[in-house]
Amino acid sequence: MAVCPVYTTQSLNSTCSISTPSKTHFSSHHNHLVFYRTSKRTSKRGGSSSCVITCSAGDSQTVVIGLAADSGCGKSTFMRRLTSVFGGAAEPPKGGNPDSNTLISDMTTVICLDDYHSLDRTGRKEKGVTALDPRANDFDLMYEQVKALKSGIAVDKPIYNHVSGLLDPPELIKPPKILVIEGLHPMFDERVRDLLDFSIYLDISNEVKFAWKIQRDMAERGHSLESIKASIEARKPDFDAFIDPQKQYADAVIEVLPTQLIPDDNEGKVLRVRLIMKEGVEHFSPVYLFDEGSTISWIPCGRKLTCSYPGIKFSYGPDTYFGREVSVLEMDGQFDRLDELIYVESHLSNLSTKFYGEVTQQMLKHADFPGSNNGTGLFQTIVGLKIRDLYEQITASKTAAPLQATKA
Amino acid sequence: MATLFTLNFVTPRATASLRDSTKGSPIKVPYLNQPMKRVLSPLESRRMQVRAAPDSLSEKVEQSIKEAQEACSDDPASGECVAAWDEVEELSAAASHARDRLKDNDPLENYCKDNPETDECKTYDN
Repeated sequence: MAVCPVYTTQSLNSTCSISTPSKTHFSSHHNHLVFYRTSKRTSKRGGSSSCVITCSAGDSQTVVIGLAADSGCGKSTFMRRLTSVFGGAAEPPKGGNPDSNTLISDMTTVICLDDYHSLDRTGRKEKGVTALDPRANDFDLMYEQVKALKSGIAVDKPIYNHVSGLLDPPELIKPPKILVIEGLHPMFDERVRDLLDFSIYLDISNEVKFAWKIQRDMAERGHSLESIKASIEARKPDFDAFIDPQKQYADAVIEVLPTQLIPDDNEGKVLRVRLIMKEGVEHFSPVYLFDEGSTISWIPCGRKLTCSYPGIKFSYGPDTYFGREVSVLEMDGQFDRLDELIYVESHLSNLSTKFYGEVTQQMLKHADFPGSNNGTGLFQTIVGLKIRDLYEQITASKTAAPLQATKA
Repeated sequence: MATLFTLNFVTPRATASLRDSTKGSPIKVPYLNQPMKRVLSPLESRRMQVRAAPDSLSEKVEQSIKEAQEACSDDPASGECVAAWDEVEELSAAASHARDRLKDNDPLENYCKDNPETDECKTYDN
């Protein structure tokens, strides 16, 4: 519904006032077309007639994407890849709280859902709940603010300071073209789930999670293998109860598992990554290999392409995931060279790229990011391109609707 | 660092944690303007080293791990234990983000991000 209904009255001299929702920003981000007729001559007739233009929801064409991932949010790799697909680097808002979790670029704004914690660190400690527990989060406020941003209304969003563990004074968030909400519970609340145009869940298996956390935390003085393990074990019940069930609602799940190419590998350097794409999602067509809907297993290394150990293995096929039809694209192994990447890209279909080699170019742009040589980086980049395609389709359909309305 | 410690010492939070803090009496701060002139009594100096709150994230992580291990020694399944380890996880994540940010902190790059037209930052790409 991108139409602003304009109510005009019978009188010739009418003064129109525009009543819009509070805090709407007429910035370059919005394509508001407001037609109003004002008359300087005062009406001689009695009874002032006013024409009110109301702008209904959806006019600002904000597309909302949800990303569910463990261990909080911030400048994570996926977000940087995603914002880079749209162009520009996402940065924290200038001049604001330096500990803000928000990232803003030209087209996208990334909001960390930790900002909607209802209990700060001491509060959670007193009550004995983790951040994963829904009791520690204010879902009503989350729903209200995401709904407002989707409708083109700026909001004052609280800030959760990860360093101090306190809730800082709010910051102003203006509605962007693409809003990404990232955190532990984007799909937990049903109302918020309905606002999402696309949702992604990053499912890291326990072994890989353990390996990654060891890499991250062993540099810290206080940590040891036991403390890392204890931390994961302690959070596991809450994680399984509250976070994990969200994956059934996601439109795309990126599942990261240990590799099957190296027997008894426990280093976690080579990964097997599966991109599980839900079928029948509006504006989203799954990536496929060779033939849509058929099952195929593919090892690109051979005569045309030489790969080093352990090589690369792809597979694609239809499947069911929590009772829903999905297509699964899987990559096991690592990219070593540029030509492996471009070779693989040339054989994947439905990538939503604008030119040949765009996936490779995006991967190379961020070759220093973790996962740039395996399926995590590849699938994150592909999902980023899919989201761009989804955004363009939604925007095109919203601009087409009022044209049809005026024609009718 | 000494001045920082002195200031920490003066905050109400820190003074409240002192065992022998004089309750009700105003906090004497003659040394705020001249931090170097502060003379510590032996009792106070010992206490200050023990009681000062950790500034850096690494110390916070360390302390939270110790607290979590203490909380879990009584009852591993209790809410306190789980919440304590969750805090450890949160602080470890914050510490690793801070480390990543430090790694990327090139002063020239930071300056050029905000002022790309200055002589030092102009790029000629054609």
